[in-house]
Amino acid sequence: MKISTSLKQNEQLLRQTLVSSDISFTPLKIGDSDGLVVFAKDLVDKEMLGQLIMRPAFSFKGEPNGESLVQAFFSPEKEQIDNIKDTANEVVFGNVVLLCDGVDFALSFGIKKFEQRAIMEPPTSTVIKGPREGFVESLPVNLSLIRRRIKSPHLIFESSQVGRFSQTTVCLCYIDNVASGKLVKKVKKKLKAINIDAVLDSSYVAKYLSDARPTVFKRVGNTEKPDILVAKILEGRVAVLVDGSPIALTVPYLLIEDFQSPSDYYNSSYSATIARFIRLISVILALLLPALFVSAELFHLQLIPLSFLLTIVKSIKGIPLSPSYEMFFTFLIFEILNEASVRMPRYVGMVVSIVGGLVLGETAVNAGIISPPTLMIIALSGICLYTVPELEQPLSFIRLFFLIIGGSIGVYGLVIAVAILLIHLTTAESFGAPLLAPFSPLIKKDLKDSFYKGFLTEENSRPSSLGNKNKRRISKGENNK
Amino acid sequence: MTNQLKTRQICLFFLAFMPITKLFMLPSLMAEYARQDMWLCALCNLALDGLTLALVLYTCKKNDKDFYGLLVDNFGKTLANIIVVIYAVYFLLKAFLPIQEQKEFVKLSLYINMPTDLLFLPFFIVSFYLCIKPLRVFGRVSDITWFFTLFGFLLLVFLSVANVDWGAVLPVGANGLTSITNGAFRALNWWGDCAYALFFIGNFRHGKKANAKILLTFLASGLTVVFAMMIFWGTFTSIAFRQKFAMTELSKYTTVINNVGRFDYVGILFILFSCVFSLSIPIYFACNLLQRVFNLKKRWIIPLLVNGLFIFLMLLLNQKMNTVTRFFVTVMPIVFLIMGNLLPALTVLLKPTQGGENEKTNA
Repeated sequence: MKISTSLKQNEQLLRQTLVSSDISFTPLKIGDSDGLVVFAKDLVDKEMLGQLIMRPAFSFKGEPNGESLVQAFFSPEKEQIDNIKDTANEVVFGNVVLLCDGVDFALSFGIKKFEQRAIMEPPTSTVIKGPREGFVESLPVNLSLIRRRIKSPHLIFESSQVGRFSQTTVCLCYIDNVASGKLVKKVKKKLKAINIDAVLDSSYVAKYLSDARPTVFKRVGNTEKPDILVAKILEGRVAVLVDGSPIALTVPYLLIEDFQSPSDYYNSSYSATIARFIRLISVILALLLPALFVSAELFHLQLIPLSFLLTIVKSIKGIPLSPSYEMFFTFLIFEILNEASVRMPRYVGMVVSIVGGLVLGETAVNAGIISPPTLMIIALSGICLYTVPELEQPLSFIRLFFLIIGGSIGVYGLVIAVAILLIHLTTAESFGAPLLAPFSPLIKKDLKDSFYKGFLTEENSRPSSLGNKNKRRISKGENNK
Repeated sequence: MTNQLKTRQICLFFLAFMPITKLFMLPSLMAEYARQDMWLCALCNLALDGLTLALVLYTCKKNDKDFYGLLVDNFGKTLANIIVVIYAVYFLLKAFLPIQEQKEFVKLSLYINMPTDLLFLPFFIVSFYLCIKPLRVFGRVSDITWFFTLFGFLLLVFLSVANVDWGAVLPVGANGLTSITNGAFRALNWWGDCAYALFFIGNFRHGKKANAKILLTFLASGLTVVFAMMIFWGTFTSIAFRQKFAMTELSKYTTVINNVGRFDYVGILFILFSCVFSLSIPIYFACNLLQRVFNLKKRWIIPLLVNGLFIFLMLLLNQKMNTVTRFFVTVMPIVFLIMGNLLPALTVLLKPTQGGENEKTNA
């Protein structure tokens, strides 16, 4: 419904729409006319309200008309609205709306202010060397952190509202002459298709961006650090930031991203390469070690060197459980401790680690319920899993699956399970980019930033698996030599 | 379904999957027929396959449509359907013995206890899963699996090469041409991988010198088999024919094993991993061909039926391994020669077709 020139009628309609007690309807005088300021009490900056709206209103002389009203109020974020529905929306978004008798539009002022967390280093990606800033829950702050790093008119932010009730602002972020137009269109289409009550975190959006097919591996990358996000945008990815979430999403996602740590880019290439290979070996150990140990114990004793075999035989003597049950039992305890320590307050979590790790472990070994090699293998496998924390959840699930296979069918079952995993991974895609790129399909020039970390000066092209427009990252010339 | 493969992926496909099925029972069988000339048998098979592959690759270059499209254009739909069904049966037959020997290997060599046929059944899960995927899955899997094949093979060679009596393979041709050709003829079930190239017609992008690259890779991977045969005979000489599964036998006398356990199993498991895919290839192609003929909406039905059939036959012929092997090395070689070499080579005579409707997507 259009805003009329009658302030009373407009107020009545707005009061019917905005019935919540936190909405303030404050009458005021604008020159010789009556006016009304409508705003959500807890969302606006009161000082700015006084400075930008109340003071000019009281100092206004004469009968206001549309033009003089617009000129009288100055604000960097000012907008004219001509219907009641949009006016009500502006109020619930935290803007201040000014209505004036005799004027057939409302003025909206963007003077939001609410409590927010300070910018700090995200606990999930701490670095020794490199920027320590992390995203916060405020979208404008997050956008400013990105804009500060890319001062180019080609950096595009496109906002939209998602969630029937929450009306959460979701912002698409990309570089228009680097990101593929097809990709941007696809992300926009997927965002438009989201139809849920509320988006409380970016993980809600991530689920809608992912393919419908069920998979344990994620299809959308995420980061809490603006420097990483900027690097990904510069490679041709599209980012999605959600108001109220410190985690930004990026697509397409490649599995190798989770093996790349921010510190790799700030340290020497040699140490980064070694670190990445250690992460790869750790993931392999985490996945296969418990299952291989159990299958070797049960079916393939010839795989174990004789002296080690004697040690194992000595340690499992008197253990009431079979090797597979013993490993499964220890695995279960480890997962319970893990879950408890994550959920509990930090100071209690410490106690859980001590009680779980030392007391429970040692007592179980002394009581002859589990053997020391089993305990050691589960502990090692658990630690290895955390070298790539982003993959902890899918790998934990696969590890359990492998353990069951290894304990029931043995090593041939493991070969089959790994083959199934490989087929799954090689055919999986994220927004058209193969999940296993640059290994499958093999893209030689993209290998420079895979498990091998090349020198920055060598990485002169963007990853071609992402389908970006502008392939060249470092321009040709003497300066770059 | 028919996404384009790259030249590199086809090269790696042959490198990863061609040699490994020939490293299980074939060496002992060849030792029985040609003794120290067993490697010459392999060389003959390789030359025959190489020639066939060269002709099929030439056909690939001239055609845009796939194998089925090429047959339809040349012979009409009915005859094309018949040929395709015959080829599907050929691929199923080609898959049968290697799968049986793989099952025997898993049962007898890999496990020290619990020898049951059910252990091998999970293989058919992989086979089924692969069969419902598009062709590009082989390209992508090859991009990774070649490393496992190569590493496994090199490890086994490294562990066994010191024990080889190279003089034992001499004099060359001591057993005469008859035994060499006889050995090569009986090994045709394991060879004939050049027929897989029929599936690449219209399904791969011809890069610069693509045919030469593919052919060279094919020959190189075939030569690894020839080399493995030499090592096998050089290690076991007159008792070679008794070593049923060459792969596990080759390296077990290495001293390093005494200190670190059956370290060679790392290589064996790597090869076994590649072998899972290698054994699935003929089943995949058979299912693919049958799907083209019957064009079922639910693409999983044919793979399910074919894999179910294999499980049934595997359990049915459980105790008849020797009879099955004898049948495949005495009766079937002529069939394999015609279907695996002769007919694929004749595709070069077919009228070239252009304007295929295959998706040109990235493999």
